[in-house]
Amino acid sequence: MKGLVPLFLGVFGTFAFSWVGLTVIPNLQIGALNPQMDEEGTDIYPAPKSGMADRGRRIYAANGCIYCHSQQVRPDYASADIDRKWGERRSAPRDYIFDRPVLLGKERMGPDLANIGKRAPVEEEKTPAAANAPAASPAAPAPAGSAKPAASGSPPPAGSPPAPAANPSPSASPNPNGVPPIYSEAWHHRHLYSPRSVNPDNRDSTMPAYRFLYEKHPISGERSADALQLTGPDAPPPGWEIVPSYDAKCLVAYLMSLDQSHPLKEVKTAGGAAPPAGPPAAPPAGSPAASPAPAQPKK
Amino acid sequence: MTPAADIPLREPAVSAAAGDAEQLERARIDASTRVPVLMFYASAMVWLLIGTLLAGFVSFKLHSPDWLSDVSFLTWGRLRPVHMNVMIYGWASMAAMGTAIWLMARLCRTTLRHPLLIVTGIWFWNIGVLIGVIGILMGYSTGYQWLEFPPYAAVVLFVAYALIISWAVLMFRFRRGDQIYITQWYLLGAFLWFPWLYAAAQAMLFVVPVQGVMQAAVGWWYANNLLFLWLGAVALGTAYYMIPKVIGRPVYSYHLATIGFWTYALFSSWTGMQRLVDGPFPAWMITASIAATILTIIPVATVGLNHHMTMQGYFPVMRYSPTLRFTVFGAMSYTVFSVVGILISLRSTARYLHFTEASIAYSHLGLYAFFTMIMFGSMYYIVPRLVGREWRYATLIKLHFWASAYGIGLMSLMLLVGGFVQGVSQNDPSLPFIESTGSVLPYLRGRTLAALLLTISHFIFAFHFGLMLFGLGRTSTVPTFLNPVEAEGSEGHL
Repeated sequence: MKGLVPLFLGVFGTFAFSWVGLTVIPNLQIGALNPQMDEEGTDIYPAPKSGMADRGRRIYAANGCIYCHSQQVRPDYASADIDRKWGERRSAPRDYIFDRPVLLGKERMGPDLANIGKRAPVEEEKTPAAANAPAASPAAPAPAGSAKPAASGSPPPAGSPPAPAANPSPSASPNPNGVPPIYSEAWHHRHLYSPRSVNPDNRDSTMPAYRFLYEKHPISGERSADALQLTGPDAPPPGWEIVPSYDAKCLVAYLMSLDQSHPLKEVKTAGGAAPPAGPPAAPPAGSPAASPAPAQPKK
Repeated sequence: MTPAADIPLREPAVSAAAGDAEQLERARIDASTRVPVLMFYASAMVWLLIGTLLAGFVSFKLHSPDWLSDVSFLTWGRLRPVHMNVMIYGWASMAAMGTAIWLMARLCRTTLRHPLLIVTGIWFWNIGVLIGVIGILMGYSTGYQWLEFPPYAAVVLFVAYALIISWAVLMFRFRRGDQIYITQWYLLGAFLWFPWLYAAAQAMLFVVPVQGVMQAAVGWWYANNLLFLWLGAVALGTAYYMIPKVIGRPVYSYHLATIGFWTYALFSSWTGMQRLVDGPFPAWMITASIAATILTIIPVATVGLNHHMTMQGYFPVMRYSPTLRFTVFGAMSYTVFSVVGILISLRSTARYLHFTEASIAYSHLGLYAFFTMIMFGSMYYIVPRLVGREWRYATLIKLHFWASAYGIGLMSLMLLVGGFVQGVSQNDPSLPFIESTGSVLPYLRGRTLAALLLTISHFIFAFHFGLMLFGLGRTSTVPTFLNPVEAEGSEGHL
């Protein structure tokens, strides 16, 4: 090859082509989405995260949660994500418009977290729920039969209310449905503090403990309300307690805020269209995933 | 055919007594690059050792998560990005720049001007990487793959890069001869692509951040292009120089090389979105990247064929020349890396391999089996010409090669098979999710074994390199051969 000019133009041109094609044009297509709302301008989704949850996202990024946990539900024709109850519909670009950094993830050494803040329990993740349920959270009624507490060992007959939480904390109050959300704040704290203790089935979990996010205090006077309920080898010596640091609370606030259950117009929700307002109807447990969602989320 | 004794490494260590004008000129050019290139290599080696130790930690902690987990800066989720960034910006980029500057000076047949400015740039680059590493350890990771360094570290890296590469590009102005050799295409491309890529990614993520999922698209666009257009381009350019040089035979076909280069630039730059398959993106983006990935078979085939035809009849030289052995291993790995890339990007296989350890295998095939092995080869060629000594121990070179080759082979195998096993269980909703994590654990333990092999190999190489650096190499006019040539010289291997 002779001459620098054609070489330079070629080098420049090929890369400009890729830059425009893969970043600039898609950015025109999905880079300026607005939240969705109904005709009256209410029921706006998604909403920016609260201050604590926003800070929690930084903690999540800083400690590398993203290397093992994804936050995206793939469509049912391409994966088992929806069968695993990781979500009722595939994720769409609009779900992430306020996320910065966006934490879609690249690997799943641990389960997907796109809906962890509102996830119905899946069979294999049966957990003795440390029910510290925020009473305000309007948890969708978990499908009967899939919400079996680990303590009972066998599934309760369909329709019967799940057994009471194994480890109620002082502030626990059952929510209106009497079903504590499985992934409560207390559960998250215990799981972050001691990942392999929350559940005997979790022995193979490769999640590291994040004990540096927790503080050990001597109990002075009354026990702190947010102290962790720990048993066995994890429990602090008598007279001591483990309390979450502010960062840990932010991280859990972030996890609790992860929720893509709100229907989106451009994506089909499995198990039939949910009413636009209010929590979507949970699909019956074990129901086969419905018809394929459209492959391309519309602008 | 020439007897084997005459083939390897035609070019003996330069001696002024030879009175050969061309050799004198080469010696002058090499001397002008001595300080900056050796500094690049020395820095790269230090980062390589740090990154290797971190790799061992990361690999071990992944299956033994309670080890050293109670200290914030030793948590797995911080060590892993530190390992990746140290390897990419500390080891790979510095080795690439060192080799590229030496090659550029040689090919432009001009001395390197202002080496001290480059040396300043190297210091800045090292400081930038160090700041970034400390930033991640302190908990300021940005959360974007391969761009975890806090943005202020990126500014330092950028200044350093400008100081370094502007002089390398300026060598073009002073070049002698009209012909621009294939290696120079790749190097010039890499020199221009990297700053654009890095600046575009930084701008779109931190200066005027794009919305939502577009950040992930920009991130993967960056990561794949960094692999292909920066590190991969330097590696391919190096292979185009080293293979013909060592066997003393011109490249088989210039036309094939032209096709290979332009299709490489065109298609590999469009890959990246396949790593987001079935994610929340318009389907055309992902499909375009899958198509581009499949089309990379064209540059792979042309480059591979070209190298193969150049090597035709000369493969036995690999028995003697360390440079050739490493370089050919890397060039062959380029084919393997690309074929694996195509296989795991197809939608039908992505169903089982997406979100698994297989993507780690893919990155390591590219960054290690392909890129790093070619860099090792080039260092075995270049360092003796800079220090005026030959490598002291052929045994150490052989150990280095085999530990690296078996290490990366075992690692890729473990992660690919483990990833498949993991993906099959992930895809079966009747199995609890935890099964998929459990099923990959044995393979992760195997990977730790591979990391151990690679650690051994890198420490051997670092020791050997240190001997060279402190002037403890052999004084000799013949390069170090892996096997004695005399013993078999009469047989005629070709």
